[in-house]
Amino acid sequence: MDHHSGRRFAVPHKKLSLDIKVMVTQIGSMGTILHAKKEEGVSIHPTFAVSVIFGKRDEPMLMACARQLIEHISNSGSSKPLVLSLGLKDHSLETLKGVASALIENRLW
Amino acid sequence: MASGELKGHFDVAVAKDLSGKESTSAVSTGDGDGIQITCFTEDLNDVTFHFQIIRLEKQIYAWIGCNSAKLGHLYAAAPTRPNNAVSVASILGGASDNTGSSIARRIVLKTGLNVILACNIPKNSPMLEADAERKLMEKLKELGYTRSRSQGSVLSNS
Repeated sequence: MDHHSGRRFAVPHKKLSLDIKVMVTQIGSMGTILHAKKEEGVSIHPTFAVSVIFGKRDEPMLMACARQLIEHISNSGSSKPLVLSLGLKDHSLETLKGVASALIENRLW
Repeated sequence: MASGELKGHFDVAVAKDLSGKESTSAVSTGDGDGIQITCFTEDLNDVTFHFQIIRLEKQIYAWIGCNSAKLGHLYAAAPTRPNNAVSVASILGGASDNTGSSIARRIVLKTGLNVILACNIPKNSPMLEADAERKLMEKLKELGYTRSRSQGSVLSNS
């Protein structure tokens, strides 16, 4: 499966809270865009807010993929929000699992 | 500003370091559709603008960074039938600040494609917006993503 991701790099001399942006596309457009962020809270276990901001809102696997990624970002010690766009031909479990593991493997956060 | 262009073929393309160099990379997928990513930086009047343009087959994604690398507000814009109109929606970022929505609209008018624009220009800065838009439009023209007037209405069905 071909995929590519676009990222932001931190501007080195400033401390900024940046975003992480990932784009996965097979269909010639960005597809569905999701936003995920870690919520402020005092409990030990962080909670996350994941939502579709553009595109298909009835595909639970897309939300699951974003949720998995934001948790991984959080476990790597980062509180950055994630904007993820998934333009995929199919939304099956295997595809999304493959996408998530490919992104985690190639991560830059 | 540009010190050279990089062209490469990758399966995984990573956005380039925003260090003042211009770079364009092309990703080709198996069936011949290419994806082109262009990144460049401009300094105008003590403000540094970073640009990233990703050309997908049916869509353009553009990011304008003003002094920082934040994603900023996200807008989706598309040509709307039947009246050659353009619709713009804010999909991330506050509703009372629509810095960038007019830029998104004009990119659609110039290119005829769906556009996703991310823009972190501070609000109430029309001069910054205008400067950024001008630079972006120049680059889109240079890359050949815009339609010329001789091709008729941008939003025709051809």
